[in-house]
Amino acid sequence: MRETLRALRGRLERFVRPRTPEPFPVELHRRRIYVLPTRFGLFFGVMLVAMGVGALNYNNNPALLLMLLLAGAAQTSLLGAHLQLSGLRLVAVSADPVPAGAPILLRLHARAPSRGRERRGLRVDCPDATGTLSLDDGVGEAELALPTQRRGWLDVPRLRISTTRPLGLVRAWSWVWPEQPLLVYPAPEPNGPPLPDGAGEAALARLHPLGDDVHHLRAYRRGDPPRTIAWKPTARLGSLLVREYEQPLSADIVLDWFRITGLDMEARIRRLARWVDEAERDGRRYRLVVPGHPPIGPAQGAAHRHACLRALALLPGGMGAR
Amino acid sequence: MAGTRLDARTRLGVLLAAGACVAPLLLQVPTTLALVITGVAIAMAFLSQRPPLPGWLRMVPALGLGAFVFSTMGVNFGRDTGCAMLAAMLAVKPLETNTLRDARSLLGFALFAPFATFLLDQGPLSLVLGLLAVVLVLAAMQRLSDVESDDARRPRTAWRRLRSVGWMLLLGLPLALAAFWLFPRLASPLWGVPDRAHVRPGLADSMTPGRWSDLLLDDTPAARVRFFGPVPPRDRMYFRGPVFMQYDGRTWSRAPLQSSYTAQPVRASGTAWDYELEFEPTDRRQLIALDVPLSPPPNAHFWSDRALRVERPLDSVTRWRMQSAPVATFEADLPRTLQLAALQLPQGFNPRTIALARQWRQDAGANDAAIVNRALSWIRRDFGYTLEVPITGRDAIDQFLFRDKKGYCEQFSSSFVVLMRAAGIPARVVAGYAGAELNTLGGYWLVRRSDAHAWAEVWLAGRGWVRIDPTAAVAPERVFDTIQDRARASGDLLANLQPMFDTGDWMVSTWNDFVLGFNADRQRRLLQPLGFDAVDPERLLLLFSLVAIAALAATVWLLSRDVRERDPLLRAWHRVGRRYAKLGLARAPHEPASEWTQRVHRARAGGDDALVALGARFSRRRYGPAREAGERLNALLRDLDKHRP
Repeated sequence: MRETLRALRGRLERFVRPRTPEPFPVELHRRRIYVLPTRFGLFFGVMLVAMGVGALNYNNNPALLLMLLLAGAAQTSLLGAHLQLSGLRLVAVSADPVPAGAPILLRLHARAPSRGRERRGLRVDCPDATGTLSLDDGVGEAELALPTQRRGWLDVPRLRISTTRPLGLVRAWSWVWPEQPLLVYPAPEPNGPPLPDGAGEAALARLHPLGDDVHHLRAYRRGDPPRTIAWKPTARLGSLLVREYEQPLSADIVLDWFRITGLDMEARIRRLARWVDEAERDGRRYRLVVPGHPPIGPAQGAAHRHACLRALALLPGGMGAR
Repeated sequence: MAGTRLDARTRLGVLLAAGACVAPLLLQVPTTLALVITGVAIAMAFLSQRPPLPGWLRMVPALGLGAFVFSTMGVNFGRDTGCAMLAAMLAVKPLETNTLRDARSLLGFALFAPFATFLLDQGPLSLVLGLLAVVLVLAAMQRLSDVESDDARRPRTAWRRLRSVGWMLLLGLPLALAAFWLFPRLASPLWGVPDRAHVRPGLADSMTPGRWSDLLLDDTPAARVRFFGPVPPRDRMYFRGPVFMQYDGRTWSRAPLQSSYTAQPVRASGTAWDYELEFEPTDRRQLIALDVPLSPPPNAHFWSDRALRVERPLDSVTRWRMQSAPVATFEADLPRTLQLAALQLPQGFNPRTIALARQWRQDAGANDAAIVNRALSWIRRDFGYTLEVPITGRDAIDQFLFRDKKGYCEQFSSSFVVLMRAAGIPARVVAGYAGAELNTLGGYWLVRRSDAHAWAEVWLAGRGWVRIDPTAAVAPERVFDTIQDRARASGDLLANLQPMFDTGDWMVSTWNDFVLGFNADRQRRLLQPLGFDAVDPERLLLLFSLVAIAALAATVWLLSRDVRERDPLLRAWHRVGRRYAKLGLARAPHEPASEWTQRVHRARAGGDDALVALGARFSRRRYGPAREAGERLNALLRDLDKHRP
């Protein structure tokens, strides 16, 4: 029974607007707002009908007036619920990418043109998540934690924006279906080998003023800290000499798809994703080499990390991509 | 979501609203029961704050209270018992009100309580309490909906909540009123209307002397009378109700044969009084009429004594248009059985009265009128009026006539009738109302329950039934007195309050006129002033639909309009901007006045100097230093409104 109902509902939902994903911004106009009584509303309606029949039967006018007054308020609440949504403008959806498996926080940004109407406590939901949208001073956003399963683009499901206010008798709702997909990073490998060292690549040593190994002395330049002055050689040579240190800065790491062997494609992606995170955590520069993509980097930082993980996330799904 | 648990404040709001619903109903059930139900309800409300009790324990108060209701009200399942059961169920319900869904079902069922109250009572107190209950229930529903939509961050104040509920009710009102006046009524009920078991004061179907003293102190209205044409003098305003012919020594009641004869025509004397009687509900089928009505109104019929009996219990305010006239002869030929019934006396009661009456008969011979006069003059001479009547023994009439010699209408009328019957004159007791009070504001006469009265009718050969009021012989001022009379007697305070009473009753009467007394018949005549005779239900429905659509449109407009610009100057300026929109020269929202006018000036062939000037004036007026412009606002507004691109 329940299954049949769900199937029926699914079929019905194919007829409601929008039927395909749509570009934002979207304005909710009356043609796409639906209003139906809630269960409480049905109960209330049955009660009103019973009251009405009773009042007419007994020709009891105060009782009839009571029933009509309640019916009038219910009718007003129906319009009120509709108007909570009407004219609402959904500006954009956004989300910070997360690794697959973690919930992604979808943010739905909304605006309302009219200052007069109070729009609060609108429920935003899809089968997997629920959020609340309240507009203060005409702007507001709802947050929905959508579950993610796999890397790549996540299509935002059709979202229902609904409200039962002001009396809980009817639910007004509208569907929005953002076209813009959300990026899901690959899930990093939980345990695995450490970062590959950069020995094979041309290790670029760079001077570092606070390194440990004495490299050489040079003439003092204005601005050198006094503690770097090498007093003994200075005394010996008669001109200020400064010690210069160097630290062999860790060599740039190369995260190379082609050097990982013995793993299937998804496992490789997950390992690389883990290495990207590790390199980022250690503060090292890294370069990512993946098939079908020019090498990324070397570089370091949030933007670089995003570029790398994005490339990994969007690698075509091979075997076992799902 | 429906399983959301309620927070303490929300639950309190819901319980208060439910309590407000039950309150008017409790006023209608017996006091002890009302007190017990209130106590249980409060206990349940407190208990419900604790973790839920096991199911069997929750059944205990429900079953106990149910049993108590039946023991108090009796097992006959009438309207009263049903209402008491509803109140009892609502009292127990808070115990299982923990979630949103529970709260909603409680509120829904609670709304039946004011509804049930109106079936029992339509007094102003019930109406006010009922309206209050509706407002509180809607406010509670609104709060529940807020809880459901998880918008608890910014709770509304109670005042804002009530205001928005009031707004909702106000917007729904036109539709409700349209439906009220135009929705077709049932001309006859779908199912029977049960009698109310628990009777309010009113004219009962029997009279036991000594029982009316409560009624005589009840100042609530019994009827209102509006005369068209001549008005009878106040001391002729006898409103006849039930006629009692059967006496068992204690109680006067109707004889069954009173209904088996048809009423004989009466011969009227003088002009007839044409009037409309607005009768407050009594839940009985007995109607009153001024003196003797010439013919029964629709839906009512005469008994042989010309008492009016209606077809349905009078459980709401009803209106009756009737003609009555002072009577010349009333049932000149009394059938033998009726005559015997009018002479019937219980065996072995009141020996002294019977002995006295026989003595009088011997003295008077065949002259019945002499006996009547002798009795009246005796009563006038020796008797006094009081509402404090001692408890009577077996021979109540003897005791009254020969020992107490004090009483009120019940004693006077019943003793007089017994005396007449013992002397061989057919006589009967008539109950009704005597006297009325003119409401100058509404132009109608108000009959109060305290005007209830009982008098006698004796049958005299050739004349038929003649009204004799022995009480009036003793204390006419007590029969026809009014609040005004009493006020004059007791000082100025009440007299000063009289206009207030009058206004209050006039408002009640108007409410009766427009709401309580509205029925299928009056609905049909609703549009007569507009020239439609007798509207049929189809046309009524059409009219209702039209008005309903108009009301809906008004509601939509009122709800959906956004906040209007309050500054008239800015409004006028925006109107000017909109006029230019047709030329594709609309002012952008961010564009200052001068920039826009300059842009329009450049864009239009020949420029637009008028607009530039107006823009400058507008800017000066709106943004310049106060009053520096020396420009009158009205002149600027007029110029802005006149300006066309």
